[in-house]
Amino acid sequence: MDVNNLVKKWIESRDIKPESDYEEAKRKFEMAMGKPFITIRLEIPTGFEGFNNEFLKLENDQQFHEEVKDLIKKRLLLDSRRKKSS
Amino acid sequence: MDDVQIIFILVYLLTILLSATKIVPMSVAAMIGALLAAWFGLLYGVFEYKEAFGFIDIRLLGLLLGVMIVVEVAEKSGLFRFGALYAVKVSGGNPRILFVSICVTSAIVSMFLSDPTAMLLIAAAMATITRLLRYDPVPYFISAMIMINLGGTSTLIGSVSNMIIGVQAGMSFTNFIGYLAICEVCLWAITIFVLYMLFKSRLGEKRKLPEYNPWESVEDKKLFYRSILILILMVGLFLTLENLGVGPEAVALGCAILALALSGSDPAEIFKKLDWETIFFIAGFMFLVGGLGRTGILSDISTQLFQSVGQTQLGATLSTLWFSGLASTAVSNIAIALTFSPIINGVSGLGSAAVWSALVLGTNLGGATTPLSGAVIMMGIGALKREGISLSFAEFTKVGIITSLIQLGFASFYLVVRFNLWT
Repeated sequence: MDVNNLVKKWIESRDIKPESDYEEAKRKFEMAMGKPFITIRLEIPTGFEGFNNEFLKLENDQQFHEEVKDLIKKRLLLDSRRKKSS
Repeated sequence: MDDVQIIFILVYLLTILLSATKIVPMSVAAMIGALLAAWFGLLYGVFEYKEAFGFIDIRLLGLLLGVMIVVEVAEKSGLFRFGALYAVKVSGGNPRILFVSICVTSAIVSMFLSDPTAMLLIAAAMATITRLLRYDPVPYFISAMIMINLGGTSTLIGSVSNMIIGVQAGMSFTNFIGYLAICEVCLWAITIFVLYMLFKSRLGEKRKLPEYNPWESVEDKKLFYRSILILILMVGLFLTLENLGVGPEAVALGCAILALALSGSDPAEIFKKLDWETIFFIAGFMFLVGGLGRTGILSDISTQLFQSVGQTQLGATLSTLWFSGLASTAVSNIAIALTFSPIINGVSGLGSAAVWSALVLGTNLGGATTPLSGAVIMMGIGALKREGISLSFAEFTKVGIITSLIQLGFASFYLVVRFNLWT
């Protein structure tokens, strides 16, 4: 590693607040100013361990994202109908 | 200079080197310094074991802890996030208004929060709004870093170095405002103007701001209002109780107890978030400087300094301002404040309001000159990097040098006029 990289690494090490604090603070602003969003941690379903790679690719699969959004729409509409009827 | 003085100076320089390079955390560096000072101090009979406890100023630690607790409760209530959201909203998507609004909010927030915490909050707000409005974040980030550093200068509790100087000089909250308020208002205006002139071509076009209500970010309105009340109460008590001889540390600790009792928060959660790194750094460094003082080296330095500037208040004030300003571009301003305070106290002619005010301004204003001047700058650069933008050392330093020189230049003029130093 050359001296420039060492100096750069040393300078960057002086950033004292961890990345998670920054991400958490940013998330609060994004929720307030932008469109609300949720983050869900989903584990691979039991019995599908052989599909590890396919499962991981879903994170960046736009078609899958649209399918999840459709599911959310259906769920929210269903919830609102239930509330109205009760 | 005798052998013991040389040993203590070497210990001092080692501590500064360790804390500046972050080979070990700042607090550990200061405690290593304190340990070595204790060892050599007792070995060579510089001080006695019982005396050593007096090196750590409990009033200063009390003030620091009290303010930290009150502010932590206020931050938990979402008060400062609400302020930042509101500041963005009033801009209406106009980049010029947004720029000024972010600059002012950064300074106001850092009057209460520690600089790193203020930077975290403002960086998160700016990253979100500049992305939503598709603005270049660099001008907003650099300006916020400089204004956060400046905002901390404004009150006795605005920065740790102010608290140190305030306690060591016996400066009250009102004294502080009386000596420095006009200077601060002018410095804010001048700095915002300079930053605006430097960045006006990069601020972006007017865009439609997303619709949002800052109140929706407040999760617990009861805690929100209580936090405002406690902050107002604390400032009110700082201003009134000093006439009864009650020190700011008692007010801060009293309000901290009130904040803990009224917030309904788990005290353990609040205590966990306090900046213990700074507290231990100050305690360790105070001990080291206390030991250094006992060797007689600090009073020798004060006498020689006072003589070298012709024994005039003008010379002493301006040399304190510029020397502490330049030193704090490279060394922690807390260390500078802790070292300079006994030096100023060492000579009777030196300890005037003008010299103490110069120390307040110098230790703070040098803190945003280069990325190495303060942790807040590195945090801002780190946040920009997470947004995929690399801000070079030179790009920040170009702006930092301009603003620091202008600020120190204006501060020199102000001190001469305010304290009538020509006569």
